[in-house]
Amino acid sequence: MAFPILSVTLLTLAAGAVLSFLAGRYARWVALLFSVAFLFESLYLVVQYTSWPGTGLGGVSLFSFQESYAWISLPWLHINYTVGVDGISIVLILLTAFLQLATVIYSWNEEKWPAAWFGLVLLTCLGSVGVFSALDILLFFLFWEAVLVPMFFMIGYWGGPRRRYAALKFFVYTHVASVVMLVSLLSIAFYGHSTSFDYASVYAAGLTLPQTVQIVAFLGLFFGFGVKFPIVPFHTWLPDAHVEAPTGGSVLLAGLLLKLGGYGLIRWGFLLVPHAITPHVQWVLYAVAFASIIWGSLVSLAQRDMKRLIAYSSINHMGIVLLAIAVNSTVGFTAAVLLMFAHGIVSGLLFMASGSVHHAFGTRDIATLHGITPTTPFLATMIMVGSLASLGLPALISFPAEFTALLATWDQIGYWVLIPLVMLVVTAAFYIWMMQRMLFGPPEGIPAEAHDVPWNEGAGMSVLVALTVLYGILPALLVTLIANSAVYGH
Amino acid sequence: MTGVPISAFLPAGILLAAALLIFLLDVVGVRRSEALGGISVAATLAALVGVVADLGFAPFGALRTVPAGVVDAVPSTTALFAFTSLGLVFQAIFLLSAFFVGLGSLSRPSDERGAAIFFGLLLIATTGMLLVALSADLFFLLLAIEVVGISTYLMVGYTRRDGRALEAAMKFYIIGALSTALSFFGASLLFGAYGSTNLEVLSQAPGTVGYPAMALAGYALLIAGVGFKATLVPFHAWAVDVYDGAPTDVTAFLSGGSKKIGIFGLFLIFVGPVTLLSTRSVTCVDSACPVPYHFAPILALTFGVLAVLTMTVGNVLALLQKEMKRMLAYSSISQAGYMLIGIAVGTSAAFAGATFQVFAHVFMKVGAFLVVAAAAQIGIGPLISDWKGLGVRRPKMAVAFALLLLSLAGIPLTVGFVSKFVLFSSAVEAQGWFVWLAVAGLLNSALSVFYYARVLKVMFMDAPDPEPAGSLLAAGGLGYGRAVAIGLAVVAVVLLGVYPGPVLTAIQSAAGHFVVTGA
Repeated sequence: MAFPILSVTLLTLAAGAVLSFLAGRYARWVALLFSVAFLFESLYLVVQYTSWPGTGLGGVSLFSFQESYAWISLPWLHINYTVGVDGISIVLILLTAFLQLATVIYSWNEEKWPAAWFGLVLLTCLGSVGVFSALDILLFFLFWEAVLVPMFFMIGYWGGPRRRYAALKFFVYTHVASVVMLVSLLSIAFYGHSTSFDYASVYAAGLTLPQTVQIVAFLGLFFGFGVKFPIVPFHTWLPDAHVEAPTGGSVLLAGLLLKLGGYGLIRWGFLLVPHAITPHVQWVLYAVAFASIIWGSLVSLAQRDMKRLIAYSSINHMGIVLLAIAVNSTVGFTAAVLLMFAHGIVSGLLFMASGSVHHAFGTRDIATLHGITPTTPFLATMIMVGSLASLGLPALISFPAEFTALLATWDQIGYWVLIPLVMLVVTAAFYIWMMQRMLFGPPEGIPAEAHDVPWNEGAGMSVLVALTVLYGILPALLVTLIANSAVYGH
Repeated sequence: MTGVPISAFLPAGILLAAALLIFLLDVVGVRRSEALGGISVAATLAALVGVVADLGFAPFGALRTVPAGVVDAVPSTTALFAFTSLGLVFQAIFLLSAFFVGLGSLSRPSDERGAAIFFGLLLIATTGMLLVALSADLFFLLLAIEVVGISTYLMVGYTRRDGRALEAAMKFYIIGALSTALSFFGASLLFGAYGSTNLEVLSQAPGTVGYPAMALAGYALLIAGVGFKATLVPFHAWAVDVYDGAPTDVTAFLSGGSKKIGIFGLFLIFVGPVTLLSTRSVTCVDSACPVPYHFAPILALTFGVLAVLTMTVGNVLALLQKEMKRMLAYSSISQAGYMLIGIAVGTSAAFAGATFQVFAHVFMKVGAFLVVAAAAQIGIGPLISDWKGLGVRRPKMAVAFALLLLSLAGIPLTVGFVSKFVLFSSAVEAQGWFVWLAVAGLLNSALSVFYYARVLKVMFMDAPDPEPAGSLLAAGGLGYGRAVAIGLAVVAVVLLGVYPGPVLTAIQSAAGHFVVTGA
């Protein structure tokens, strides 16, 4: 039997989380150690993923590093622990590893109950890796929900003044969505008389259903995953959660949790019930995507709180991800996954920067802070790199992703691509405006005790900046992985 | 048609002997709670080993006292007892609840007298519960239920000084007497209709005789009578006052243990100890076989309606509660609703799901009530808002309680999720209108998340009030037994949530014998 790398990875994270909880004040060292181990395991996945799976629809052979053990085996119910990955999953697992490492470094000096903090960071990442690798409905759902709980506590315990409201709202929105998602998946399995809950059997079961049933199930799935995206009009939990969440929580929330929605929609939506994707359904998705893109960028323009601005720009970016997925082509999926990776890194960077702004100046208010560059040159640089990356400057990571996404959209729906394109200009506008007001000009509203970032925050951001540049110049490192896996999309 | 060997009663005998020993020791002056409780815990453990051995589980299989062939034999038409695997599973469930309650009450406050009464009655009640699981005759079943009833009335009121407990005991007693009367009246109507009180005969009779009006009336009275025990809505009103007024460790036993006799009683009355479907010429496949009363769809429908009513009313009223114990009491009622789904659906899969739900509920509810008892011990008031900031003040206790509540809410990676999942999917698998029972269950689970999450919020997110000087919270532990019992319950809840396989398989195979096809 091949080396069970996925189980080992999951166990690494689980062990890391438990040990962090127990390690008291050494928790950060434990977390760092296990984050590095996790990074190496992800790199192992990337390097070892050389035997490209063949083409074919939903066959088991499409996934590498597959493991399967019976978990619940009753005469009428077969649930397995089945994990396996393809290029899409691997890219997102790699993202998880990068973000986890950066978050652990960034929050190195966490003072409020550090053992629990680092434990929860690792638990969140454990859940995400589980989601990205699970190939059984129930296992997938377990990991999906497992992400929710640590994030709930991260917001609710470490968060800002309105943290309780934000945590509860986050929990209720996403929990309701995941129940709808589970019901949709189960209805495919049960009504298609699936022999087990494995991906392949559920896929086969889905094919036997009448197309209307498939479409209804798909729309349920779309709602379930869409709330995580988040799509307009179910996005309102996101700004609240982000503003109240601690910085590390925001990084994981934007970097990972939103990606779970995108990944879910591809793997457990588009690829699972391919026949549900009719042109009408596609247009529903396009409309929602346009709404999210427009709403996200226009509302961003009006924000004074730097963190809130980044939160709304996430809605805009994830709208483009949704658009690229809805195109339902290899190029589209590739662009979507690449953009998710890019957004994970860049929004992580920006949230860290906004957290550091708060530490340094005691406020994140764009309107009161002016000319922070002389006081905090390093931080200003980070904000600039992050903003430029986010607005899609070439040679930084988002550019290839957004360009491909728009290209794929153009391919399918022609001039409608003008909507996201125009909104990209708005996106550029609000980032440049923010930079102009905050970074440049004569210093104003800067408290005397303001200081540049501590080493750990700087190191955390530097990791992400390095990745922004590296993958901006060499997106091919990821594209090959993704594109080969998105082939069987239709 | 083999009789039940005397060794089948060994577990019950052990408990009875231990109960008598406890009373005897009390007379000669040994009154230490740890000593008497130790006997009760040891006895329940020994009985548990015996039951598990009889189920044929390694490594206890070698200890079995009853030959394997006797298990699940169809009892004769005059038998009082039947020895079935599902009965054994329920015996194990009952013993587990007694074990946890006994362990959790080991170190009772030393100034409180009556350790002998508590532990002695605990064992006698459990003996009665084991007899329920062995019944093959309706009258004997009702008598066994009565043994449990009388012991538990006394357990609720034994402290005597507490007015609320006395009121609860009185209420419990009067309602109990009423339900007994209803049950026996129902049983006599059934005897009139079918000419026997043997459960096996009763389960076969509708196939040949059909359902005369007298039988339906009898069944209705039995549903009411036994439904009181199982706290089905609308026969639930007593439960909350009793659970609230009783000493909390007794509440743990009532909710986690003794009320489950009602569920198993309904199993026996409406399905029979061992049911051979083939005798009723039903053609069906394996797990999708309906049980006999589906010949009277009205009975299945009744149970379906009762299930939805019970879970919905329980959950909605739990939402409105301000006191922790009352909230848990209502949540206990709603859990009974989930279990009823199994009877309504009536396939072996559904019985397996319901049984697993009962099994899971022991750990969750006994654990949760023990935490409440522990909380009272360290000076936390009865209101939910009194639990403010427990996460900071007693993090271990708060985390334990949180896990138990999450399991009750059916959050994944806890046993509560697995049990609900198996139960609901068994309803979906049966197709037809049963799917709606799964939908109702699902909606109810979503609803229940709110009141459990509210407690989590209070414990972990609300800032604690400044502690008064000399507060109990700063002081001492909970006592070994209680801490270990809570710890074990939490471990079980998580472990069974992550790896339910073996237990689930065993329960499914027991339920498979319960509703036999072919032959």
